[in-house]
Amino acid sequence: MGDELPRDELKAIWQGQPTGTSTMTMTLIRSKARDLQAKTRRQLLGTVAVPIAAALLYAFGIREFPALEHVLHPLCAFTLAWSLVGLYFLNRGMWSTVMPGDAGLSTGLEFCRGEIERRRYLLRRVLLWSLGPVLLAIGTFILALAMIGTTDRGLFPNGLPFLALVAVWILGYFVMRAREQRELKRELDELIDLEKDHSR
Amino acid sequence: MDQFGSSLDRLARAYEADPEKRRDLSQDIHFQLWRSFQRYDGRCSLRTWVYRIAHHVATSHVIRERRIFSSLVTLEELETFPDKGGPEAASRRANLDQLSALVQRLKPLDRQVIVCYLEDMDAASIGEITGLSPGNVAVRIHRIKNVLVKWFHEGKNYG
Repeated sequence: MGDELPRDELKAIWQGQPTGTSTMTMTLIRSKARDLQAKTRRQLLGTVAVPIAAALLYAFGIREFPALEHVLHPLCAFTLAWSLVGLYFLNRGMWSTVMPGDAGLSTGLEFCRGEIERRRYLLRRVLLWSLGPVLLAIGTFILALAMIGTTDRGLFPNGLPFLALVAVWILGYFVMRAREQRELKRELDELIDLEKDHSR
Repeated sequence: MDQFGSSLDRLARAYEADPEKRRDLSQDIHFQLWRSFQRYDGRCSLRTWVYRIAHHVATSHVIRERRIFSSLVTLEELETFPDKGGPEAASRRANLDQLSALVQRLKPLDRQVIVCYLEDMDAASIGEITGLSPGNVAVRIHRIKNVLVKWFHEGKNYG
């Protein structure tokens, strides 16, 4: 069989697939705008989770370990401040500067590179401004347990399985994020090479 | 919009396998196109404009929805895929599902090229939409043809 037949056949298969008709009515546009607002609200609420968790841990630590107040106060306050500052940076990096509908003059290559760069940037910000405070909060909690454990012998060994689970979770998270970063970097390099090729 | 309606539906299929999400993606494409037309100043053809916006929306969707354990591949990697299945039933539906599964595995830029190619566009139009050089488009189309012909003859399963 020659090269032409399957090529044309595949185009025919592709173009012959059943399609629906999507008409933009004012009701649909309003509904999409509402969806977009709801999604934005959900994402904003998601970013508030870390400062709330830090504040809860702060209150819990001070209440449960009053003897360690001198250690917990500065560490927890720093964690809370870090996560609050992180709110600003996370939200700044989360939203695309250009919506797809505003990028009609950008080629697929330019837009794709921009989106991947934004994704990489956002991942880095999540690690620094979201995971960072979480790690410090967990570290503070472990420190409190260890310090209490010197007086109360049973507390620290009993908490070891939990701590091991936390450590595995953190390690797994880092490995997955690092893998995603590498993958994005590779894609970005490919796109940059293609742009260079085009500009030559 | 009527003249592009069906093509845009097919484009959404190339980027999203799940029918519910595909419907949302299709609506997003139409929404962004509706927003974009006030900026259209004729510096490129209407078709190029429409396809660029549609691919941008779909690319954003793919990058946003990407999962850590489901990596996308380039055309070069697709060429080296091992044969995972025997010859497929030659029904049109099965072929369409196979073709869609193959397209959905590709990275966004290769997906743009293959969708434009399947929509019967020439290399110059594909270059205008994607921003790839004519030479690069030609090479990619050649690779696409090879992969598709190989798939068509050998019944490779890319799903």
